[in-house]
Amino acid sequence: MPELPARELTFAQAVREALAEEMRRDKRVCIFGEDVAEAGTPFKVLSGLVEEFGRERVLDTPISEAGFTGMGVGAAMTGLRPVVDIMFGDFLTLTMDQLVNQAAKVHYMSGGTWKVPMVLRTTLGATRRSAAQHSQSLHAWLSHVPGLKVAMPSTPYDAKGLLKTAIRDENPVVFFEDKMMYKLKGPVPEQEYTIPFGVAEVKREGEDITIVATSSMVQVALGAAEMLGKAGISAEVVDPRTTWPLDEKTLVESAKKTSRAIVVDEGYGRYGVSGEIASVIAEGAFYSLDAPVKRMGAMHVPIPFSPPLEDVTVPTEQAVFQAARAMCGKR
Amino acid sequence: MAISVVMPALEMAQETGKLLAWRKKEGESVRKGEPLLEIETDKAVVEVEAPGDGMLAGITADVGAVIPVGETIAWLVAPGEQPPVQVASAAPGARSRSGGAQQTRAATQAAAATKTAVANAPPEISPKARRLAKELGVDFALVRGTGPDGVITAEDVQKFADSKAAVPAPMARAMAPGLERPSQLARLMAERTTQSWTSVPHFFLVREVDANELLEAQKVWSDGAGKSQSTAGTITDLLVALVARALGRHPRMNASWTDEGIRANRDINVSVAVAVNDGVVGVVVHKADTLEIEEISTQRRQLTERARAGRLRPADITGGTFTLSNLGMYKVDAFSAIITPPQAAVLAVGAISERVVAVEGKPAVRPMMTMTLSSDHRVVDGARAAEFLSDLAGAMREPMKLL
Repeated sequence: MPELPARELTFAQAVREALAEEMRRDKRVCIFGEDVAEAGTPFKVLSGLVEEFGRERVLDTPISEAGFTGMGVGAAMTGLRPVVDIMFGDFLTLTMDQLVNQAAKVHYMSGGTWKVPMVLRTTLGATRRSAAQHSQSLHAWLSHVPGLKVAMPSTPYDAKGLLKTAIRDENPVVFFEDKMMYKLKGPVPEQEYTIPFGVAEVKREGEDITIVATSSMVQVALGAAEMLGKAGISAEVVDPRTTWPLDEKTLVESAKKTSRAIVVDEGYGRYGVSGEIASVIAEGAFYSLDAPVKRMGAMHVPIPFSPPLEDVTVPTEQAVFQAARAMCGKR
Repeated sequence: MAISVVMPALEMAQETGKLLAWRKKEGESVRKGEPLLEIETDKAVVEVEAPGDGMLAGITADVGAVIPVGETIAWLVAPGEQPPVQVASAAPGARSRSGGAQQTRAATQAAAATKTAVANAPPEISPKARRLAKELGVDFALVRGTGPDGVITAEDVQKFADSKAAVPAPMARAMAPGLERPSQLARLMAERTTQSWTSVPHFFLVREVDANELLEAQKVWSDGAGKSQSTAGTITDLLVALVARALGRHPRMNASWTDEGIRANRDINVSVAVAVNDGVVGVVVHKADTLEIEEISTQRRQLTERARAGRLRPADITGGTFTLSNLGMYKVDAFSAIITPPQAAVLAVGAISERVVAVEGKPAVRPMMTMTLSSDHRVVDGARAAEFLSDLAGAMREPMKLL
């Protein structure tokens, strides 16, 4: 078969295509959320869906995250496959009881009688000048809870493949999209495909140091790896793609190969996803490590509104480059 | 009672020593035998151990200073005890015997040395490097770390192991046109060889021996305990043992010429010539005649590693009573060596190579080795030296007895 030139989609287009394909494939799939219908969300991710699937399947809700998330849990328990849209990840605080105490527990507490095949799509990421209540990356909170799966795509290809898997999963899945990445373009094949959960991808192969990065930080890590290459350091970039289930094997194998690892995640560095992944590597690769595993994440402060301040709170290519160089013993 | 810490004399001709680093800080407690300071003589860099238990106090010598041997440079005191006052009041500047320009250089070196000392004690090592060191049988205390803050990385351990295992390849030694300023070690080598060559009446006996049994013994020994490459014994180890035992039967070869007369040395301490960066160091296997071959091998290996790492201790290079110099690894057939006074002799050993020799009237190919014994004619004459060499050659036919 002759190889076709790869089709390119933006991250937002890839998400929309995954939703549209799954809604065509399965009539039970529906969308709840604020400004999801004609408005297509403030990020225009859902534009066109209400026109194709109608207002009954693409349902605008009042500003009531706790309410419509609970509605999603109930709809999932009673036969639908809802995709709940929480505009900013910061608003997850309002959905916590529905997610943590209901969605995550029902299957277990009902002895398997009930299930909650719901996806909650939301955003993370700073540097959009949206201030402290619209810029947080709170995926660690959900990754902490047994009964929830958490996906964090970093490319248009991964976004489409992982979202289709999330919608078909019989369990509640929280799906984090970096709001700064919606315009990122990348190859997305026309053919049907899905990406299994718990399978990390090596985004760039290297020999000297492993940079584990999630979501928004994958592009940062790739940029840093490029700079490191010019400085004579071969960096491997590994994207776990789902924080739960977590592909521990690939992370450990990579760290064993390079003997050094940095974990970069946009959540807070303290008590976060970066800490968990660093532990996994330290436990699995201890006797192959040449340096302590380093975490890099958002500074332990509310994300500032001031652009110069905001820009220093999250890891940058330059910061990752310097940390990696220091770890390799070069300054 | 305060114990004085003095600049030690590591060899007879030494007048001064340069303080490279204190391994303990003022006020820190130290146990007898722990490394206390690092000094450079004109022969090597050595670690000096604490002469007793106590708290380091009253340091009067600055790092970088050149100090006459025997001079007190610090005290080890009991808790609460004050160091004797006359030493503490001495002006630090008075210790240096060098001029202004040298002083500046010494100070610069001092800063570097202090930094190194801090990084070295105790060495930080990564988990991977620690595991690798164990697997390769490397003593990581001898490895210089190149990681962040001087941490020893796996690469450092691997390079160290490789450098040990490597057979010296013919290597191009760079030398720029013009005048090369010799290092302290090189200058000392020049002085001592000149002194020995011009004052000690050398004579040389040459003997070719069949090394077949020696090679067999080494093979049996290496295969024996499932040894890894890095810990396998060498021909040099076997020679040290054979020489030491032969010296026991020929004490005159182990004696020294002095102005008063010929002094018989009580112990048999075999010095082995080791090539280092800028010269040769004779590392000493003490009482080699009393040691099992395994022990000789272990000691010789550790001494060689310390010599190459520049971490020799005083005892490592002092007290030799006879020298063995083996250039076999450089494919030298035979050579004559210069005696290291006050020793009476040195045995120079060439490569073992296959040669056609007559065996029972017929030509045969045998692994042959040529030994050249240089002796001080004031201590031994030709006949005595020949008896020793003959006895040694005989013992070489039965090296299995050592195993």
